[in-house]
Amino acid sequence: MDQKFRHLYNRAAFGVYPGMSVDDTAKNFAGMLAAAAGQKTISIVNNYREEMALAGAKEDPERRKALKDQVKQDQVLLNTTWIGQMEDRSLVLREKMTLFWHDHFACRVRSPYLAQQQNNTLRTHALGSFSDLLMAVSKDAAMLQFLNNQQNKKDSPNENFARELMELFTLGRAQYSEDDIRNAARAFTGWAFNPQTGEFVFRQRAHDDGVKTFRGKTGNFSGEDIIAMILEDRKTAHFIALSLWQFFADSAAADEEVVNDLAKSFYDSGYNISLLLGKMFAGTAFNNAQCMGNRIKSPVELIVGAMVHTGGKFNNPANLLFLQRAMGQVLFQPPNVGGWPRDKAWIDSSSLAFRMSLPAVLLQNSETEFETKDDGDVNNVTNSFDNARRISFSVDWQKLGSIFMKSNAADCLAAIAEHLMARPVSATNMKIVQERVGKSKEDQEFVRNAFIAFMSLPEYQLS
Amino acid sequence: MTSRRNFLKRSALTTAGTMLIPNFLKALEATAPGSFAGEKILVVIQLSGGNDGLNTIIPYQDDLYYSYRPQLAIPKEKVLKASDLLGFNPALEKLNVLYDKGYLTVINNVGYPNPDRSHFRSMDIWQSASDASEYLSTGWIGRYLDASCAGCNTAHQAIEVDDTLGLALKGTSIKGMAVRNPARLYKAMHNPFIQQLNDNNKASQINDPSLHYLYKTLAETVSSADYIYDRSKISPVAATYPANEFAGRLRTVASLINAGVETKVYYVSLSGFDTHVRQKTQHERLLSTYAESVYAFIDDLERSNRFKDVLIMTFSEFGRRVSQNASGGTDHGTANNLFVMGRNLKKKGFLNGSPDLRKLDDGDLIYQTDFRSIYATLLNKWLAADDTRILSQKFPLLDFI
Repeated sequence: MDQKFRHLYNRAAFGVYPGMSVDDTAKNFAGMLAAAAGQKTISIVNNYREEMALAGAKEDPERRKALKDQVKQDQVLLNTTWIGQMEDRSLVLREKMTLFWHDHFACRVRSPYLAQQQNNTLRTHALGSFSDLLMAVSKDAAMLQFLNNQQNKKDSPNENFARELMELFTLGRAQYSEDDIRNAARAFTGWAFNPQTGEFVFRQRAHDDGVKTFRGKTGNFSGEDIIAMILEDRKTAHFIALSLWQFFADSAAADEEVVNDLAKSFYDSGYNISLLLGKMFAGTAFNNAQCMGNRIKSPVELIVGAMVHTGGKFNNPANLLFLQRAMGQVLFQPPNVGGWPRDKAWIDSSSLAFRMSLPAVLLQNSETEFETKDDGDVNNVTNSFDNARRISFSVDWQKLGSIFMKSNAADCLAAIAEHLMARPVSATNMKIVQERVGKSKEDQEFVRNAFIAFMSLPEYQLS
Repeated sequence: MTSRRNFLKRSALTTAGTMLIPNFLKALEATAPGSFAGEKILVVIQLSGGNDGLNTIIPYQDDLYYSYRPQLAIPKEKVLKASDLLGFNPALEKLNVLYDKGYLTVINNVGYPNPDRSHFRSMDIWQSASDASEYLSTGWIGRYLDASCAGCNTAHQAIEVDDTLGLALKGTSIKGMAVRNPARLYKAMHNPFIQQLNDNNKASQINDPSLHYLYKTLAETVSSADYIYDRSKISPVAATYPANEFAGRLRTVASLINAGVETKVYYVSLSGFDTHVRQKTQHERLLSTYAESVYAFIDDLERSNRFKDVLIMTFSEFGRRVSQNASGGTDHGTANNLFVMGRNLKKKGFLNGSPDLRKLDDGDLIYQTDFRSIYATLLNKWLAADDTRILSQKFPLLDFI
């Protein structure tokens, strides 16, 4: 298989699908982009009014409990529906980008309806214009709630949104003053959402329409003006280009020239995200051998990657919650507005041991003794998934057997390694895998054992 | 090996009492088994969910306490009175015994500026020791390892007794280790496949930084698993522990300490303190689990004569609101009390005044001591580490140790 092709699928998707052929040029980046032109909106949570009724249901404990249970069910369903959608080959580029933005615009709210709404906003703009995306996220109910803009009023400004907008979403640290934050916060006063519908509303009476000074300019700025001024600054283009480079290409080393070049065309294109991605994925820096298999998969990438690589399906959604918790990344629950720490931060002695033992658990449907941490929050639905340790994961081994079985063992192992591994497996480790798999009695068992062995290598943690 | 020994030596030499031992003897000793005896050890206990401090340490003379909590307050006659103003929840009988022995300091009114009432965010702040307005991806104990043990190639300088490693123990270049059960970890690492991979892949020969890191972590895990298991086998357990998971975890800590395992910091959590509804029974059950388990743990350490080297700090991510809510529980609050236990405390009993219920911030207690002052004190005076570097700020040191 062509290395570049596999590299693209490791990064822009979650890995190569079984049986994919490199000759199929429709599956390069342009092909992925074309396939992702359509989008599948997630609409499994439709009872925002009922969620909101929860607060008012104090007098009726039974109704309150029923509503609470519904919210919990919806949280689980939203999480697992998204995971399922990430695995879908035709949607994968848009979903991977949605995952990127989910981390970039990290946000955590209790309402599954608002979480779903934001997730769809990210999905809609995931490959479009960053300017549109930024405006949409800034007017998104979940973000307004998470960063306290509901409380940002003329008489009592709240700076939380203004600060994170600049520090984490656009310009990056130290590109603005505390005065800029104060003035920007004033411009966003009155940006709120309707608690009945979850829709953005501008509350004129709460808005401070006085004169503001922002980054050297003075005027009667609105929130829209502030966002426009932030986008006018090339530093925003650079910050986003660097962030995309670090996520998709190389988190350790940023080649300044490459990133500057990407930032420039990003800015000149009016913040066209697809254009930036196309340029990055086609570039020599991205396709350099050093850039391949040098990135540690996040837990979600590892889980979805295992589904993609094997074509397997989780029969019990609770397993997905358990695995996310066990490895420290639960979708819709980032640790803070800064998102999840990346790469090496995922790996410590216990998480590595768990990750290396996972393939055997997954592909043999066994139970792990591993327990997840209870974060103490009685309302966190995912605390109750520790009993989902018995994994039920279905793989069509007959199909994988027909794809990967070759006339001799060495060729078969080579084909599977090529399919699964982001970097070449050393001769030493190939031998260790061979010894382990060599005892298998029949063909399908051989293929299954080979999948387990390769996926248990530390190298499989890399993409 | 060398770097670990330096780490131990450095911390040992700054500890009063070992100053007279010549360097070369200390260095010799560091290679012998049992050389860890005498090293200062910190045990951190995290009460997850937000412990209700006001129903833990009761201001039983304060009428306002009783008026804010008409159903939930602990009746005066039931309080285990410790001082003129404060006493223990009746479920904390064993803690009261430790208090009487002079092993307990309760620091009242601990918190931080601009408190956050969300569990995950406030826990994040406590574990990373950040300001409320900043986001750190490392924990305070992890940064202690970074600062004090640069180049260490073992994983067990700090152990969390759990299956997953929390943020508190993650540093930039060094991370602690999560071990719930030494025997199970040993068995997992002695899987022949893992042994073969570890034997045949040396991190030092791998150039790619990510792959290097993976094999380095694997090697450290295998070697620490062996070491911890070998040591823990020899350790007798002298005390009787209650039959619950939390006590079991403290028992594991005691067995490692008593076996002379070279671990400077242990971290154990007890969850369930998010008592919004029908708090009374649940809270008292948790408090007695806590007190009885800690009591057995200290008893165990006393029998091995190691308690003098161990300091136990207990915290929760926030206290609860002063008023009870309509469901017989309490909602998320702010400032709280924090416990320090040890054999030779310089200040015993209660530090800071009783919580001031006359002066509240929107129904919440106002903090008096930043929790990072306590961290700084533990780092500086107990672990002989550079608190300013680890916390990126200078916090006033306290005099309880």
